Amino acid sequence: MASTGSNSSAPAAESVGDAHLALPVERGPGAAAPELVIGIGAYNNAATIGAIGGAVRESLRGSLAGLSSRVVLAEGGSNDGTPDLMREALGPDARLTQVSYPVHPMDLLQEVYHGLPGRAHARAAIFRTAHELGAAACVILDATASNLAPEWIARLAQPVLENSFDLVVPYYLRPPHEGALTRSILYPLFRSLYGVRIRQPLAADFACSSRLVDSFLALDHWPDEAGGAVDLWTTTTAVAGGYRVCEAALGTRRHEARDNTPDLSTVIVQVVGPAFGDLQQRAELWQRVRGSASVPVFGEAPSDGPGEPIDVARLVESFRLGYRELRDVWAAVLPPSAIIALKRLVASPDSSMQMDDELWARIVFDFAVGYRLRVLRSDHLLQSLAPLYLGWVASFLQQVRDATPQAVDERVDRLGAAFERQKPYLISRWRWPERFSS
Amino acid sequence: MWDQVTVIFGRATGRVVENIANFLPGLVVLCVLILVALVIALVARVLVFRLLRGLDFDRWAIRSGFSILVDWSPERSPSRLVAQTVLWLILLLGFLAGLSALDAAMPSYFALTVFGYLPNVIGAIIILICGVLIARFLARSVLIGAVNLQMQSARLLSTGVKWLVLILTFAMALEQIGLGRDIVLIAFAILFGGVVLAMSLAIGLGSRDLVSRTLDRQMRGGVDRPEDTIDHV
Repeated sequence: MASTGSNSSAPAAESVGDAHLALPVERGPGAAAPELVIGIGAYNNAATIGAIGGAVRESLRGSLAGLSSRVVLAEGGSNDGTPDLMREALGPDARLTQVSYPVHPMDLLQEVYHGLPGRAHARAAIFRTAHELGAAACVILDATASNLAPEWIARLAQPVLENSFDLVVPYYLRPPHEGALTRSILYPLFRSLYGVRIRQPLAADFACSSRLVDSFLALDHWPDEAGGAVDLWTTTTAVAGGYRVCEAALGTRRHEARDNTPDLSTVIVQVVGPAFGDLQQRAELWQRVRGSASVPVFGEAPSDGPGEPIDVARLVESFRLGYRELRDVWAAVLPPSAIIALKRLVASPDSSMQMDDELWARIVFDFAVGYRLRVLRSDHLLQSLAPLYLGWVASFLQQVRDATPQAVDERVDRLGAAFERQKPYLISRWRWPERFSS
Repeated sequence: MWDQVTVIFGRATGRVVENIANFLPGLVVLCVLILVALVIALVARVLVFRLLRGLDFDRWAIRSGFSILVDWSPERSPSRLVAQTVLWLILLLGFLAGLSALDAAMPSYFALTVFGYLPNVIGAIIILICGVLIARFLARSVLIGAVNLQMQSARLLSTGVKWLVLILTFAMALEQIGLGRDIVLIAFAILFGGVVLAMSLAIGLGSRDLVSRTLDRQMRGGVDRPEDTIDHV
């Protein structure tokens, strides 16, 4: 059911009932379309939702004070009082629209790295609400962030409202050991495929224009619920559609620690799987792209420093164990030259183990081709990538041990360039896989 | 007396001639059926071979854990082996059908027995194929999972699981074709128990560190593997 509901003394809460929003959300009698919708998908996020609501409130009172806005909470049926905490944190001035989205039993059974079951449904519910309210911009925030700063919301919204960008993705400054999957695979893969240098293609916090929201809603096929499919799909759809994209520097992002965080191999399946799946769907597009270009970055954000030291020796040990036991599995995916190169790497001392960027790029591309050719079950293939990835992480952490955040970024840039150089290899393997079969 | 001998001889000869006359049409039918079966078998062999080659069966067989087929196959081609098996199976069916056309008690009984047994053999073959596929799938799942858990005895665990499933499969297949039921059951129980015991010992001895780390981690309510402390995304 849709209802309007806002008054001056309390945040209005509108319950729309279902994510599909059969009934339109009304703006309220005589109300103009809000310029900004701030959407949050939540499911049992009592631990963090208060802080997020507080940051939204501060933002709306501060840098976004002049804007007409609506906060949309897409709620999956929390039983820990998340909506009440959100309402309380927003205070009496903010206008809150609560929409519910369906969470299926299967969504609850699956541990997802981002912690929001039915994330695609939540995202769809927010986009539909923003569309029906006629908002010019829509900022999406992740309910699991534990250090969301009020200025982040303005930084994400302003490029859409003031500079006519269609998608604003976050640019986090993170310690070297964080976001390694993004640095090692997602960023360089996305950059080499689509020619756009976006540091965080799998964006949980982002902003988009009404134009882009409409184009999302017009698409028949949304990705399935598993893992990070919808996050990556958002970015690739915008880039593939030729929409204007930029980055907003936000600083360091932290998540709430959860009990049900999946293990690394599951995270890889949930994050890398959709990226490889995307390759298949957009094969005609990425094969035509050559080179890459940066996107504008808005704002500057300080880094929190190097972060906790990581035991690299254990990572190397995981890589070596993987080589010893999974070599036969890898041989179904990788060419003999890569296996030989890995053998040399395994034999090198811990302190000097350095995985060559070109080798790593070819390994990722080989796995992408293997995923396409179904040489193994897709989950087996992706899970077997975990020890190789840990080998890369060990090598990377040793290289950037004392580096500044800028130097770390430059190092990641060089990796992205290596992926671009190896792109012809991917295209060859993609087009003529039989030439590479042993 | 001579007349009686002549009559008896005449009757005997008549019976023999009659029997031969009765037998000959069956023999002709047998020959015709074998010939027809041979033609069908040759055509089927060609068709099956081409179909399997088109489906890239050789590669699939190797990937799916039937690489042993390569060694058994003519020209190291499992497709050729399957096509050849189809040929001989059709020939055998033709021969058995021909035997029943002879209208002789023994061959007919033999043919009917073999025909009656055929579903069990086909069932056993299906059980074997499914068992090998499941064993391979589980072995790979366990191997990858155990490596990602950093278990040093990952390979051993994986091999143990594979052989557990294979032993179970062979026992089920033999049960299906009704061969030495009691012996199979006892042998299976001994082997299964032995493998489980061996695996328990191997895991217990090989994964002491892992068990102690896991217990320690649970006691402290925290994580200690470096990859668990990293926010990967």
